[in-house]
Formats: sequence, C-alpha cells, structure tokens
Amino acid sequence: MTDTPNSDDVSRRTYLKLAGGAGTATFLAGCTGGGGESTTESTESSGDSESTEETSGDDSDSSTEYNALEVQHWWTGGDGGAAVQALFEGFEEQHPDIELTENPVAGGAGQNLRAVIKKRILNNDPPSSWQAWPGANLQPFTDADKLEDIEESVWDHNDMKNTYLDGPQEAAQPAGNYVSVPLNIHRLNNLFYNVEVVEDAGVDPASIDSPSALVDAMATVDEAGYVGMAQQTNSAWSTGQLWAQVLLGEYGADVYADVTAGNVEANADAVRDSLDIVKQYSEYYPNDAGSISWQDANSKIIEGDAAFFHQGDWAAGMYRGQDGFEYESNWDHVPFPGTEGLYSLNMDSFPMPTNNPSPEATKAFLRYVGSVDAQERFNPKKGSIPPRTDVPQDAFGPFLQNQMDDFSNSEAQPLSIQHGLAVAPDALTAFEDAMASFISNYDVEAAYSAVQSAFQ
Amino acid sequence: MSTHILKRLLDRLRDGGSPVRTDGGTAAAGSETAGGDSDLGSALSSLRESDAVRSAPFWLPPFLLMGFFVYGAISWNIVISLTDFGGLTLPTYDPSTFDLEMYRRAFSDGQFWIATRNTFVLLISFTGLSLAGGLGLAILVDRGIRFENWFRTVYLLPFSLSFVVTAVFWRWMYNFDSGLINAFLRGIGLDFVASKWLTGSIDTGALGAIPLVPDTFYFKLFAVIFALLWQFSGYAMVVYLAGLRAIPNDQYEAARVDGASILRMYRRVILPQLRASTVSAAVVLMVFALKAFDFLYVLFGSNPGPTADILSTMMYRQAFSANEWAYGSAIAVVLFVVALTVVAPYLYGEYRRGEL
Repeated sequence: MTDTPNSDDVSRRTYLKLAGGAGTATFLAGCTGGGGESTTESTESSGDSESTEETSGDDSDSSTEYNALEVQHWWTGGDGGAAVQALFEGFEEQHPDIELTENPVAGGAGQNLRAVIKKRILNNDPPSSWQAWPGANLQPFTDADKLEDIEESVWDHNDMKNTYLDGPQEAAQPAGNYVSVPLNIHRLNNLFYNVEVVEDAGVDPASIDSPSALVDAMATVDEAGYVGMAQQTNSAWSTGQLWAQVLLGEYGADVYADVTAGNVEANADAVRDSLDIVKQYSEYYPNDAGSISWQDANSKIIEGDAAFFHQGDWAAGMYRGQDGFEYESNWDHVPFPGTEGLYSLNMDSFPMPTNNPSPEATKAFLRYVGSVDAQERFNPKKGSIPPRTDVPQDAFGPFLQNQMDDFSNSEAQPLSIQHGLAVAPDALTAFEDAMASFISNYDVEAAYSAVQSAFQ
Repeated sequence: MSTHILKRLLDRLRDGGSPVRTDGGTAAAGSETAGGDSDLGSALSSLRESDAVRSAPFWLPPFLLMGFFVYGAISWNIVISLTDFGGLTLPTYDPSTFDLEMYRRAFSDGQFWIATRNTFVLLISFTGLSLAGGLGLAILVDRGIRFENWFRTVYLLPFSLSFVVTAVFWRWMYNFDSGLINAFLRGIGLDFVASKWLTGSIDTGALGAIPLVPDTFYFKLFAVIFALLWQFSGYAMVVYLAGLRAIPNDQYEAARVDGASILRMYRRVILPQLRASTVSAAVVLMVFALKAFDFLYVLFGSNPGPTADILSTMMYRQAFSANEWAYGSAIAVVLFVVALTVVAPYLYGEYRRGEL
C-alpha cells in the first residue's frame, strides 16, 4: 500500500532504458516545473525558467532560477508536523523564488518513507532531498554512489563547520565526506523519573552513578510498591536503545564506539555484562510491558505508578502536554547513569542525492537547514535541540535549555545504534533480531552471539 | 467464467494430439485427414471458428493482465532471488551470475527455520481449530435455535473487521493488568491462570522429554492464533452452514427413523457430506494464515521475535529493513511454494472431479 505512488515501477524502468537516466531526470524536473507554472502564477521569472534550463545546462552560477524543490519526510502529525511546517515557512520567507513541494509519507517510524526513497533511488528518480537518519544509515547510498559531496556548496557556508560539534559532523560524513545536513538532535541517554515516587521510595537519582547501581535503586523503588522502570517490550527497539545506554554508561564511549565498529569479541565481557544488566532491569518492568507502547509506559510515570523511564527525549513532549505535570517539580531528568558528559545522538538530516532534480534549489534548502533560523524554528516545536551550538535558547523551554547546555559541554556525542547512526541498515536489522530474541527469553549468551554476528 | 474456458482449452490441447476424433463432425477433425495445400487455409478458418479464438475478447484481456501483474511479478521475484541484489545498486541480471546462493543462505539460517516452524504451527493449528470451531458453531446454529440470524451475525461480525483493528484491541485484551482476558479470569477466581499472554511462557517439565515438545512453551504465537481463531471461525461457520443447509431434511429424518443418536447421525450421515465445505474453507483459511503478516505487524512491528516470527515478517524485514532484496525474494519464493503446496492439491482435486 505504501508503494502506490511508485507502482509504475516496471514501465519506468523500461522507459529509463530507452531514454537514459540523465535525460529522464531533466525531463521529469521540467515536468514538475512546468506543472507549477501553469497552476500558480505567470510571473516573468517562471516564464523564463524553461529557457534557462535549456540554455544554461550545467552552468550553475548563472542560474538564479530554480527548479521546483521536492522534499520528502515522515513528519505528518503532532510535534513533528508542526515543526516541519515552521521550517518550510521559514525557508519560503527566505527563498520566495523557490517553489517547494513537500511530499510526506506517513507511518512506521519512517519505514514507509525509507521504502519509497529506496525505490526512487533505484529508479534513478530521487526527490530533491528527504528526511533521513544520517551516519551509517546512509551507507547503502554512499556505497552505491548516490549522494553528492556538499562540503563546498553547503558546509562551508553559515559557519557550519565551527558550530556543529564533532559527533554530528561525523554523522554527516558516513563515507568520509559531507553528504547530509543534520537538523535536530534527540538525546538518548536519558533517565526520566517521577519526583514524588523517587522521594517516597527514598532514592536520589542524581547519586546513581552507573547502570548497575540503577538495579539497586529499582529494587528499593520496587519495595516501596512502585514499578521500577516503565519499559515496553511489545517491540524490541526500546530494549535496543536501553542496552546501548547501559553499555555506554558502564563501559564508556570508547568501548561503545569499538563495539559498534564491529569489535564485539574484543569487548565480549562488556557486551555480556551490559546484556546481563538489562536482564536484571527486566525484573522491574511493569507486568504488562509486553502489550504496551512507549507512550503507555510513559503514562505510568505521569500517573505516578512507576519511578524511572528510559527513552529518547521525545518522551518529554508527553510531559509538556500534560497539565499540572511540571518539569523539576513533578518529573525530572538525569543523564542515564554513568553517561554524564556524554550526549547520545539520534538525529534527522537531509541528504543531497545525485541526479538531483533541482541541484541549486536543493543546495539552497540544505544551507537553510544548516542555518540558525531553521533550527531555531524547528527544534522548539519538535522537542529536540539544534545541532548548531550557537542557536539562541530563548525559544526553548527550561528542559530543552538544560539539554542544550549539556550538549554544548559534552565531551563526546556517541552515535545511536537503534536509530541507524552507528550501524548500517543490515546490521541494524540483525541487531533488532537479536533484541527481539533477547526480550522473549533473556538468554544473555544467545543475545551476545547474535549481537556479535550482527555487528561484525 | 475464464476458468471454464481454460478447461475447454486444456481439453482441446489434450485431444489435439490424437489424429482421429471419435466425437467427429467438427471442421478440425475433417481438415486433419484432408492434407495438401488447402490444409493451411482450412486450418486457419477452423482456428477462426474455434471457441478459443472467438471467445478471445472475453478471456484474453484478463488473461494478459493476470499474466503480467501476478505471474509476471512472481517470475520477476524468482529472478531477483537468483541474483545477489542488495543495497542500492541494481543487479546486472546476467543469467551467468544466477545461482542458488540465497536459498543456501536461507537453509543455513537458524532464523529462517524458526520462522518456517512458526509458519507451519500457525498454519496447521489455526486452520484445524478454525474448522472445528466453525463446524461446532454451524451445527449449533443449524439446530433451529431461537435468534438464529442474530447469532449468525454475531459470529460472522469479527470476520468483517480489518486485521489492523483486531490486532490493536487484542493487544489490549492481552494486557496483563487491565486486559479483559485476565480481568475475566480473576473475576471467576482463576487468578493463577492469568498470564502475560504476549511474553509469558510455561516450563513443560517432564513433557519436554517428548520429541517435538519444547522445554519452554511460549504463549505468544498461540495468543496470535487464538485471536485469529476468534476472527475466522465465523467464516468457517458460514461455509459449513451452507453445506449443512444443502443436505436434504429427509436424511435427518431417515437417520432418526433408523434410530441413530444425534452424535451418530452427524458422524455417519452429515459430516461425510461436508467434505467439499471443509476443503474449500480450509484452503481459504490456510491462505489467510500465510498472510497473517498484517496482524503480526500491527501487534509487534516488523520483528515479532523468534516465538512468533513467520516467513512473511522475516521476508519483509530482510527486504525492506536490511535492503537484502535478493534474500527477501528467496524467502518469498519459499513462501510461494508453501502456498502452492496448499492450494495445488485442492485445485487438482476439483479439476479431477470436473468442478473447475
């Protein structure tokens, strides 16, 4: 059903053979541009655009005219929907001359959009840009040489290289050169808690200094009659996230990076032990963990049934939407035990595909995505923080302001496993298989060998 | 309609081999014995006259559309499974590079065997239980109870719901704390039976020593089967009910006059006549079982874990998450072969009996 927009697969492929890839792309771009002209308005500039296309060709610096820009994303509702609309408004204000078409594909946490993009890339018919996790997630694209180097055209502008920290810059270069522009960061090494519950149980979250010490804290909470950790095990990804933070907190950023680079065997004890800690956590999960979503789990924090909650900081969006449940007085946040000084990254970015239907317009868009204005508009609405460290904090709430401070002062920004930054899609799929088995039987040894074969 | 024509076509092909037509009288038979230059002309005219050609406007378009969109896609999928298509580089489709590597990979992949096992467990237990449940309901409804239509509607209603809807509310039903099933069990004092239906397991203890019985029995797949059962036994009921209604009342009366008990009457007189209903319901149910993908996907996402993973979810993961297109295609081919083994004997049997 997600395939419907591209169901003319075969005919397009046949057509490509006949016409040749580049020719088709120009033709398609011309088509969309032409369609725009007839429907919107008949200003002089748009009248010229076709002739510019024909005459100027590759001569990019003479082109003050732009082809229509097509941006695909999966932010169709809620925080993400409002945020991306704010971003597009800002872009249109700065570039009234560029016609922007958004082409959202909803559902499946981006899985549906990823399927559409892969098909379009294989058909040599990419959109101008799309929402993508940066980092190793883009490896299949760079392996197939489908992304363009945008160091000169984008990253050298707006002081980007000085204002992005190392972690996000690394993620923008999955194959060693800049191909993508990160727009936002969700932190993953969080531990949220219900203030009243931990006070009642007599636990001080700030004093928990390692993932293994969290087990004792949860035991104390459990004795006081609360759920230790509100976790969902209906699907495997939350456990994948959690294990990564445990590994990071117990063994540090270097071991973490080494493991994600594929050296699992060299760190066998660390991997086994961190899996075992997650297994110990599982004793303190809610009884219905297997049939709830992360939102249901988070509700247990809001309702005061559970003490701790690990999730990306998008979870704070739920607290924000809850009247009478305030930051610091009702809920609070510490970095996941043992990960103080680290800012574990989950990001969205916009890459630049080759055979771009609108090269100049795409570069203008990507430069905008990397600008202070764009990130200041997008992130407060999304509940994430900007990867640029020079974005003014005024528009952000107190929680995000604290996160921004943590980020600016962080000594390392480890890349997420579960959200595709650190490992390529095939390894991620195998890792998820490992975690899906793990949550059904908590067999540490089996999970270890599955993780090992996933990352090698 | 088109199947009817196809059957005629097949008959024609089969008969075409013998030079002498015993049924005689047709132009085709005449021309075959004639010979010479007029042979071609009369053969052409006989071809023009033939049923197959004259009915072509009716069967040809659907035949071509089906051929292209269904069988064409299946063949293309088989071709892809022979390549090593992965990532975002299109394969060359050079026949000299085709091999069975992906199948070899599947057969040495533990996960594949787990998914296959689950697929068969789902297929067999779901189909068997649905048929049994449907038959039971059909017989009850057929006994001339009050509010018969009302019951029939109630039983059939779940069948009209989408998998997406039923998956979501079964997830709520199976909730340990607030789910209806555990609430009911606790309500009648069976607290000890209340379980974590989606994640729980029981140790089979001494039974584990029996071959094919696992040491630990996970509920997950059976929770799925139970939910599907609830949804599909209504369908089996309707099929059986139609079968029961087709049996003349005389036979019930004759059995009663002969002094047969109700049980004996159903076992000896009624059930043997429901063979056709059973087979057609079973085929539909089995095909549904193979397509249980959407139910699992809504319930657990693309990775239900080893206790409920089936071939179709694994296929989806390999193709669309891992970008292993060729491997996904190979799993799809295996799934296709399984579906074919389910449907083919039925089609062949119907064909043999001349019902197709």
